[in-house]
Order: sequence, then structure tokens, then C-alpha cells
Amino acid sequence: MKTNKVLDNLIIFIVFFFLFLPICVLILFSFNTSSLNITFEGFTLYWYQHLLENTALLEALKNTLLIAVISTVVSTIVGTISAYALKKYDFPFKNVINELLYIPVVIPEIVLGISLLCIYTFMHLELGMFTLILAHISFSIPFVIISVRSVLDSLDPNIEKAASDLGASKLKTFFYIVIPLLLPGILSGAQLAFTLSLDDVVISYFTAGPGSNTLPLYVYSVIKTGVTPDVNALITIMLLVIFIVLTIATIISLRKFKKEVRG
Amino acid sequence: MKKIIIVLLILICTGCSNTKEEINVLNWSSYIPDSVIKSFQKETGIKVNYSTYSSNEELLAKISGAKEGTYDLIFPSDYMVEIMKDRDMLETMDLSKLQNYRNINPNYLNLDYDKGNVYTVPFVAATVLIAVNRDEVTDTITSYNDLLNPKYQNEIVLIDDQRIIIGLALLANGYDMNSVNENELEVAKEWLLKLKPNIKAYDSDSPKNFLITNEASIGVLWNAEAALAKDENPNIETIFPDEGFALSIDNMAIPASAKNKDLVYTFIDYILRPDVMKEIIDAYPYKNVNNMTNNLLGSNYLNNSAANIPDSVIAEGKFVENIGESVKLYDKLWAEIK
Amino acid sequence: MTSKLLRYIFILPVIIYTVFLIALPLIYIFVISFFQSDFYGGMIETFTLENYARIFDSVYIGIFIKSLVIAGITTIICILISYPFVLAVSHKNKRFQTILMMLVMIPFLTNSLIRMYGWTVLLRESGIINQILMSLNIISEPLSLMYNNLGIIIGMVYTLIPFMILPLYSSVSTIDKSLLEAASDLGASKWQKFKNIILPQTFPGLFNGALMVFTPALGYFFIVDVLGGGKIMILGNLIKNQFLTARNWPFGAAIAVSLVLITILVIVIYRKLGGKMDKLGDM
Repeated sequence: MKTNKVLDNLIIFIVFFFLFLPICVLILFSFNTSSLNITFEGFTLYWYQHLLENTALLEALKNTLLIAVISTVVSTIVGTISAYALKKYDFPFKNVINELLYIPVVIPEIVLGISLLCIYTFMHLELGMFTLILAHISFSIPFVIISVRSVLDSLDPNIEKAASDLGASKLKTFFYIVIPLLLPGILSGAQLAFTLSLDDVVISYFTAGPGSNTLPLYVYSVIKTGVTPDVNALITIMLLVIFIVLTIATIISLRKFKKEVRG
Repeated sequence: MKKIIIVLLILICTGCSNTKEEINVLNWSSYIPDSVIKSFQKETGIKVNYSTYSSNEELLAKISGAKEGTYDLIFPSDYMVEIMKDRDMLETMDLSKLQNYRNINPNYLNLDYDKGNVYTVPFVAATVLIAVNRDEVTDTITSYNDLLNPKYQNEIVLIDDQRIIIGLALLANGYDMNSVNENELEVAKEWLLKLKPNIKAYDSDSPKNFLITNEASIGVLWNAEAALAKDENPNIETIFPDEGFALSIDNMAIPASAKNKDLVYTFIDYILRPDVMKEIIDAYPYKNVNNMTNNLLGSNYLNNSAANIPDSVIAEGKFVENIGESVKLYDKLWAEIK
Repeated sequence: MTSKLLRYIFILPVIIYTVFLIALPLIYIFVISFFQSDFYGGMIETFTLENYARIFDSVYIGIFIKSLVIAGITTIICILISYPFVLAVSHKNKRFQTILMMLVMIPFLTNSLIRMYGWTVLLRESGIINQILMSLNIISEPLSLMYNNLGIIIGMVYTLIPFMILPLYSSVSTIDKSLLEAASDLGASKWQKFKNIILPQTFPGLFNGALMVFTPALGYFFIVDVLGGGKIMILGNLIKNQFLTARNWPFGAAIAVSLVLITILVIVIYRKLGGKMDKLGDM
């Protein structure tokens, strides 16, 4: 098939330029001697050192990671069990529940945010880490369910039957047969839950309380009063970590792909 | 799986439990520098969870939305103190626990919104004024009406505060700043719509940045913001308009059923310490109300006409008043002009 | 463990979750949207339709229309950028495709607010873009690139574009290449191939992406806050203000309910056009 290679490359280049432009600016200014992110005045590593003294920022980072880890673990477990239950069992209102699960995926986050805020207030829950984690769990679970379900649907139902014919208990079958087979779906669901939690602004904005500042909320407040380059420095470090992790993941998937092609 | 759940529970518990002594402070943004909070934590071992708001209305919403006792210290302005008092949202202030209370300038004590300072201790005074970058604008500006000049298209930054901005539109038309007369408010609305093309942005948190970066050449903003902009660019002139201007006295107050009252008094007393107040005023030069701090403040503050506002000028300032249910008129008008 | 008990253990979590964390909060919002608000924050539990009537006030209708227009333009621009990009990527070999798609994801794994901040550094009057254009003498006066609708749309497109690229890419990669080759052999023009093969095959991805871009764009108040300069309001800001400054929860709830209705309408259209719900959250 004839395609216009030059045009293709141009399009790809322009889109990548657009995607990476603001990121590159942020990285550049993390090395800037001026504390205002306006013009580049000279090179320094000062902000990387200063970052370690910015306790508010570091605490926000700690909270963010803690919330992301806990909400990912919980939503992955609940999501996996739920996906399995929805596939294997019949129960009253199953169809309704199935529909309700899409709500957090499709409605604007702000609706979920304020409805959680209202219900927390109604139940006299104090806003803080707990309410924040609960909120993150509640918007992550459907993504895990959908991701697990897509693998579950392609699973051969005879496998479970064979296991029980061989005398394995249901629970054993679930843990030793089903879970390992579902692992790709579970992992991609967990990854999605983790990234959604790390970057959530809208829902956190309504459900956080004193002492539970997250990184996105911290950035939101400093954008209003003036961002210092130590925030840029933190983002640069985070980007580096993400880049390394993704590169490793890509190399692994490329290897697999090679094997599949060969074998 | 049980193990995972147990580990999780432990994690959640350690994440939320208050084993350390801590207080939850809710304050205006750009009001107390981080350094003050840090040295307080260092000196007392009390952890401060610090969060911010950008208008009295936001403060009220945060306090009434949160469970009682969520916040231990807030900084409402005069009229908001009245509103909160009426709604039993404030604890009485035990002044005997505040050694440094005597430092406060008596001119700022015992005011109408809190006779006898039963609920509040004044923190600073703030006025809203016009700041003009003389590098860009050479015309004489003495009145709010001068801002309507079409020359200033997209050049003005305003604080994002409905009571004050609508109030100054009323002043510009010769009405009372706190008018609840619907016809007068209609005139104010028309005035603000005329001003609209000139507005670059509404920003309460750091409007000075617009002036410093030359993004806007005129600002209607809090005096400390103007003072800081002046520090960066001496060609910024500050103007108290002929029609009058808004004055606000911000106070420290303890919300009803705050959980850590004893610790909060430690914090308030710390803030009232002359050297601490100096550090605060140096960072955010509002009008100082602490007598003992006066002799510590440098020429930077004393010679800055936007920071060290003479008492005679302060006396002319107008307070935003509690207008009760009529605030709905302001809410609607605000949505209409934005 | 009996299998009956096991059954309950499996079923309970999803029931508890949907009832307590999805259904109840939404029902509660629905209920309070019919309450009256007392001045200064409280709610009076008497039935009223006043909040819904108020939405039809010209001010608020204006905000609804503005939000829908901004979300619509954002969606169209996302399609216009993503389509050529995804097709261009699909012309590369599989390995290179994997690498390119990984690179696409990188910016979106960082904090979305800090990316908005990155845009303010670029777009403001003293920002990098204006500095460059002025030093090249292309313009003499700085352009207003933010604190207006343009800035907001740039921010929205930038934040939401992966939700368009990913589903489009996965639907483009399912197109049978031999079909395209056969079409070329039969003398089909590029446009014919696009219209008759590529477009129908990628419709599901396109709709999926459009939905995942359009509805969030109605509510992303933080983009409007950062790039709109506080003088532009979309539905997200309006709801946020009712809850966090104007203290009128019932009215805020009524706007939120209307937003849900708009979403449901969009979903119904999506389903009518043959869209599958499971595809929406599958990334």
C-alpha cells in the first residue's frame, strides 16, 4: 500500500510537539535560577535540593501515594470479585447493578464528587484521608470490573468445570485457576486505578479535608498563588520514573511480541 | 487475602489517626508565610494542617459543609464574624489565655461586629485599592469610573470577591456600598457589564502577579498585594478612589466545637508575638494592628504607601455589611456579570 | 465453606458498593435538588421546583449553552487531531507503533494541573509563545492566548485527547489491511477507502472517544479556573460555586441532576448508534 510517508511523519511530529511542549517547558524551568516561571535566566540544581525542604509538598506527595496504593489494592480486590460474581451468579437486580456500574465511568466527575460530599456530610463523616480513600475506591472499581470482565468473557467456562470435576473446591478453583487466568485483566485494571487516583483533581477537591492534601490539590492551590520551581523539579523526577517504568514495560511487551511472531 | 486486609486496615489507621498533636487552620491564601508555620511546628511540636480559602463566602461554605469540629482556627472578616456569630458558629474566645493580646492596637478592638471581642482577635486590616502601572498608563485615575475607559481593554485585574466588586460598582454610581435596592443593583450590573471588556481576569489569590508580569496594567486588589507589586516595580502607583473604598478587618476566631482548643490558643498567641507578626507583615504587608510590631518593621513596610496606610485613611474605609437574605441578589448578579 | 456462603461472599461486595457508593449518593443529590435553601447555607426539607425553574433563567441557560459549545468544539478538535495521527501511526510497523503509543501516554501520567500550569507559562502575554513571536517580528503586540475561550479549549483538548486517541487507535488497528490493499488494487481513491472502509470500521472507537471527551469537558472546572482567569464559567464552575461559595446546595444539586440528564441523553445516542458500554472504561 502506498502511503505518503513524509506527511505521516509530519503529522506524528506535530502531535508529539503539541503533547510534549508544556512538559518540556516545565522540565526546563526546573533548572532555572529565577523563582518566577517567566524567563529562563540561568542553570541551577538548587530547586531539587529545595524540594527536600518543602514539607507541604512532600506531605502532599506522601498522601497521594498512600491513597493511590490503598485505593488501588482495595478496588482491585473488590473489582475482581465483583466482575466474577456478575459473570457467574444470578441475583436480584443484577441488571440494575450492571447499569449502575457505568455511572462513575460516564458521568462528569464533578457530579460524583459533590454527591459523595453530600452523603459524607449527611452521615457526619469528617472529611480527611478516609473519605478521600473511599472516594477514590468508588471511582476506580468500575474500571477494574470492566477490565477484568473483558478477560473473563474470553475465558473457557470448561476450565472451571474440569477443576471441580477433579475435586477442587470452588474457592480453590477461584484462587488457583481463575485468578491466574484473569491476571492480565486484573493488572491492567489495577494500573488504571492507580493512575486515575494519582491524578484525580475534581473528586478529591470535594472530598478532601484538613491534613489530607494531595499533590493535585497542592498544585491547584499553588497555581493560584505562584508556582515555585521545586514543583517543576518534583514533576521532572516523577516523569523520569514514569518514563523508566514505561520503557521497561514496552521492552517486555516488544519481546513478547517478537516471540509471538517467531513462534 | 485476610492478611492483605489486615495490612490495609493498619495502613488506613496509621494514615488517619491523630497520635500527634495537631491543629487544623483554615486561612486566606497568601496570608501567613510557610516559614511562620514551620517555625511554630518546630518550636511547639504541634503539627499544623494548613488549608486556604479565597473569600469569606467560601470560608462560610467550608465551615458549614464540614462536620463540626473539623477546623480549629479561621480568619473571618468583620461582616462574616457577624454572620457566623448569629448562626452560633463561633466559640467564645478566652482572652486570658492570650498573653500577647495586650499588644493589639486598641483602635482595632471592641468594634461593632464583635463588641468586647467575645469571639475574635484582630489579625490585620486590609483595604481594596486601585494599583496602576505607570509604565503603561499615564492618565490620571481618581475614580472607579476612570476604569471604564475603552483604552484599558483587557488590562484590568480584579479580586474575585462578589461583595467587594459589586460594592465598588455601587460606589461608582453614588450608591451605598451595601445597597440591597434592586434598582441600584441593576445600575451596578450595567456598570460592571460596561467594565467587562476591560477585565483581564478575576483573581483573589495572587492578583499582584498580573501586575508584576505586565499581564495587566491596572489592578483593583487588596493593599498587601499592591504593596508587593510595588516592591517589584516602584512605578506602580496606588490610588484610593474618590468614591470611597472597602475596608476589611480580618480576625482569628475558633469555630464552634473545635477539637483542639488548647493548642489553638498556643497558635494564636504565637501569631500575636511581635517578632512573628513582623515576619508575617514582611511577607504579606497588610496594615499591621500589633503595636509591639510597629518598631520592628523596616522602611520597606513603613515607606510603602500601599502597606502602611495611615490611620486617617483607614478611618474612611467602608465595611462590607451583613445584608442577610439579600445576599441572594448579589449571588445572581455575580453570575450575570461573569 | 458451603457454596451458598461463598455465593454471598462473592455477591455482597458489588451490591454494597453500588448501593452505598453509587446509588445512594446520587439519589440523595436528586432528593436535595427539590429542597429549599435557606439563606446562608442550610437546607429546608420542603418540596419545591424552584431550583429547576431557576435553571431556565437566561443567565444559567447561557452557561449551559456555553458549556455544551466548549465541550462540542473540544470534541471536534480532538477528532480532527486524533484521526490523522492514529492513521499515520497505523502505517508504521508494529514495533514502532507500540513505542509511539507508549510515548503518547507519558504526558498523561503526570499531574494534569501541572500540565495546565505548563500551558500558562507558554500562553500568557509575557509567555514563551508571545516572546518568540515578538522576537521574530511576526507580531508587534502580544496575542491574548489565555484568560479567554481559546485558552480553555487548548487546555481541554490537551487534557482529554488521550481518551480520543486510545479508542481510535484500537479500532484502527483492527482494520484488515488486506481489505485496504484489495481496495487499492480495485482502483479505489484515498477518499473512497477512507469513506467506505476506514470510517465505518472506526465508528465505534470514534463514538467511544467522543463520549469520553464530551462529558468530562462539561465539568472540568479546574481547567477553566487556571486558563480562563475566573471570568468564564462552565457547568463545572457553576456547580462548584453553588457548593463552595454561594452555599446553595439544592440549586447546585439541580444543576448536577441536569448534567446527569445530559449525560444520559448522550449515552442513549451512543447506544442507538451501536456503541457498547463495556468499551467505555476499557483502556
